[in-house]
Amino acid sequence: MIPATDRRPYWAWPLSALLTLWLAAVGPACAQVKLGFQAPLTGQAATDGKSANIAAEMAIEKINTGGGVLGQKMELVTYDDQAKTEEAVFTANKLIGQDGVKFAVSGSYSASGRAAAPIFQKAAVPFISAYGVHPDITRSGDYIFRTVHLGPPQGRAAAKFLADNLGRKRVSVITMDNDYGQATFEGFKSAVDRFGIKVLGEYTYSLKDRQFGSIVASVKRDNPDAVYVTGYFFTAAPLVSQLRSAGIQAPIVGSQAFDAQKLIEIAGPAVEGVYIVGGLNRDRDVPELKEYLAGFEKRSGYAGENVGATVYSAVRLMADAIGRAGSLDPAKVRDALAATHNFPHLAGELVSFNSLREINMPMNVNVVKEGKFRHYAWIDDLQLLAPPTE
Amino acid sequence: MSAYVYSLLAIIGINVMLAVSLNMISGFCGQFSLGHAAFYGTGAYAAALLAAGGSTLPLALAAAVAVAALLGVVVGFASLRLRHDFLAVTTIGVSFLFVGFVRKQAWLGAEMGISRIPPSGLGNEGNALLIVGCALATIALSLYLRRSWMGFAFRAVGDDEDAARSAGISITAYKLAAFTLGTGIAGLAGGLYAYFTQFIVPDSFGFIVSVMLMAMVVIGGTGSTLGVVMAAAILTLLPEIFRFMKDYRLLVFGALLILVVRFAPGGLAGIGRAVLAKARAR
Amino acid sequence: MSYYLDLAFNGLVFGCMYALMAVGLTLVYGLLRILHIAHAAVYAFGAYVAVIVANGTGSLALGLAASIGAAALLGMAIYRALYQPLLAYPPYVPMIASIGLLVLMEDGFRIAFGEQGLTFARNPYPTQLHELAGLTVNTVQIAIVGAAIACVGLLALVAYRTRIGIGWRATVSDPAMAASFGVDAIKVRYLNFAIGSALAALAGALIALLNNFVEPSMGFVVSYKALAVIVLGGLGSLQGTLVASLALGLVESYGTIFVGHFMDRDAIAFLFLIAVLIVRPQGLAGLKTA
Repeated sequence: MIPATDRRPYWAWPLSALLTLWLAAVGPACAQVKLGFQAPLTGQAATDGKSANIAAEMAIEKINTGGGVLGQKMELVTYDDQAKTEEAVFTANKLIGQDGVKFAVSGSYSASGRAAAPIFQKAAVPFISAYGVHPDITRSGDYIFRTVHLGPPQGRAAAKFLADNLGRKRVSVITMDNDYGQATFEGFKSAVDRFGIKVLGEYTYSLKDRQFGSIVASVKRDNPDAVYVTGYFFTAAPLVSQLRSAGIQAPIVGSQAFDAQKLIEIAGPAVEGVYIVGGLNRDRDVPELKEYLAGFEKRSGYAGENVGATVYSAVRLMADAIGRAGSLDPAKVRDALAATHNFPHLAGELVSFNSLREINMPMNVNVVKEGKFRHYAWIDDLQLLAPPTE
Repeated sequence: MSAYVYSLLAIIGINVMLAVSLNMISGFCGQFSLGHAAFYGTGAYAAALLAAGGSTLPLALAAAVAVAALLGVVVGFASLRLRHDFLAVTTIGVSFLFVGFVRKQAWLGAEMGISRIPPSGLGNEGNALLIVGCALATIALSLYLRRSWMGFAFRAVGDDEDAARSAGISITAYKLAAFTLGTGIAGLAGGLYAYFTQFIVPDSFGFIVSVMLMAMVVIGGTGSTLGVVMAAAILTLLPEIFRFMKDYRLLVFGALLILVVRFAPGGLAGIGRAVLAKARAR
Repeated sequence: MSYYLDLAFNGLVFGCMYALMAVGLTLVYGLLRILHIAHAAVYAFGAYVAVIVANGTGSLALGLAASIGAAALLGMAIYRALYQPLLAYPPYVPMIASIGLLVLMEDGFRIAFGEQGLTFARNPYPTQLHELAGLTVNTVQIAIVGAAIACVGLLALVAYRTRIGIGWRATVSDPAMAASFGVDAIKVRYLNFAIGSALAALAGALIALLNNFVEPSMGFVVSYKALAVIVLGGLGSLQGTLVASLALGLVESYGTIFVGHFMDRDAIAFLFLIAVLIVRPQGLAGLKTA
């Protein structure tokens, strides 16, 4: 029996029902700003997809607790593109045709970003590729932006780092054979003459490989002063372990995708002292970065890395551009994006976008020290890092 | 109709073409092929190269069919020498060989694939209509084939090679015919796909795709055109209808495969026939 | 010179791993003519059990034991639930079911244990180095080679010297005749699956140790190679399987260095397979029967 004091007045129920109905009807009118989001939630790239998803959700929450965009809340409309071209095309069409998004971010790999970009361009929807590095993505048109360094600048930065910071000129190079690996390697090769580097051997491996005996034996025969490796943590960890086990003591410089805590978990002491060009600088004394890292680790169960950080920043950037544009008109937001100046990206200061809407931004180099990623150096020669303009 | 619906139609159409053409090889003629994606990919790359080089749509598509069928004949010859199990593994090899070769060739775009494929000029709606048209034509061809003399010969070869041989059917000719036809259609689907996405990468034509296609054939009911069409459409649409399934897509797919094979080896067509039989028996 | 020896040793390690996997497949194929693709899921299952039990109990030995035992049970269950009801159908039917099971289990691993995979809490073995004939090798590599030799040797011993083994070989060559001599065909089948699965689990656990990493899709890569191996070996022939395993390991090891810029590792492996089959359609050691 409900005590007298707890009994609600008899008109409470009909009123709350009416209220709910009214809110439901009026709800869409208090429109939320929809942000389309593609990420590889399943499939080969699921690890990064999970990071991207969590990061994007965190960014949306941060935006909304800060008052939203132009007074409205922002809403994430997420689709799994499985990092596949046909799914990317399909989900892009869905976002535009069915969900009616006016702004979109790709939290997915290169191939999917490359397939989706022209569709968003055609629909005049500002689109940011958070970490997809296929060069043709931004060439799709002036509504397409990218907030991560392309492969070639990463390769050039590695060349400079090897020669200027480490003083090592005889280098063996091991590349993964996907587009990212190939592009980074092209960039590296283009800079070797400038920095006086001699490439002793070039080896490629497949993303599925976990045993690199042949390559390790070949590098051992090269006897280089340093080894430059591109790869993701699940290939880099075994590769570095095996290099060290074979007795190769030369410094190892890795690419951006090394930068995940799982690398250290798998390879343990073998990755001590490995340098990572393009890794996330977790040591920056920036409150939002610290907040992000703490929050991300709590939600995901693993430490934050590059992929999550760039996706978070891409979403924040889109909201920031909307704010600067002062309007939800995609054309005005696009212009605001292009005019971005000194945006506080989690990975550093995003100085500006160039005419091809690629970033001008310094690159960080990490080193693995005592089982953690520590900042080691900045490559801030923006001219060297300058992305292509067409 | 929105771009979303057109792209949905396009994907279903392409999958239908691929599944039905595989059914011709594996269902009608009994030549078990887990390498169908390689022919799909060959067609896509042929059309992409020609289109990027300035060819017209009909020429590019014709090239797609021709090159894929040529590869099909080569694999068809292999089927002459090898029995079922060896053939199955060889076709798996064909799947891997295709991807493994293409991703290393710079002139084929290597890992980056071929991008900036020019549009077909038909627009979204036009593309979708063309694909649906081709899919319908494929279905019609398949249905006709089944009733025709060639279809009869296919089935004879598929059911019992020795008996067919003794009945005077040229095993060689019909096996090769099945492969040429089936792979040519797969090549056409590939060419249409290239125009649809305007960007192709080697990974889209890997072994997993071959497995998916074979699954469509088996779930539909090996040998039944309409069953296979339904299975292709349903398996393509399923993740869309059940959004929550997106994360469990493969889990459900695997389970479906097991359940169908275990409890309804005749596939959807088998279930359909059983239902019809029960209805008539009443 | 030691470079080529290095490559050869690597090929050997790979070959031994393929052998451990392929033996199980050959056992199943020889008896039932089924391509047991789900074998790769048993391999991955073995790896997962090994890591989880080893991390949970702190004992690697317990992890290995649990892995082998659980996998043997799993193998027998797969036969009973999946293949036995389908024996009347043409062999591609159970093969499709097998593919379905592989896909289901691999995705299951991803959902249950995460996309990022698992690692051993305590695993010093891959970095324990030894000098062997001028080569630097680690403990796990030696373990793999040793395990392969031991298991295959044991199997051969059992197959040729014991009553069970003779009964098994009889069942493979002529089930009806064997049955008339009192050999229980069903028991032989269960034994086949148990042994084959145990070997796959051992391979999985050893690879998990070697890489210090277990991931949901680890089975896929090995499964097709193992299939290629048994086809090469002549489908049903144990000796052929061994020769083919080692040959494939070596071809891959040298091939990726010398032809690696032209096609990737899997393509090289399958090209080798197809080339052999063109010359010898019955495989390396197969009988020229059906």
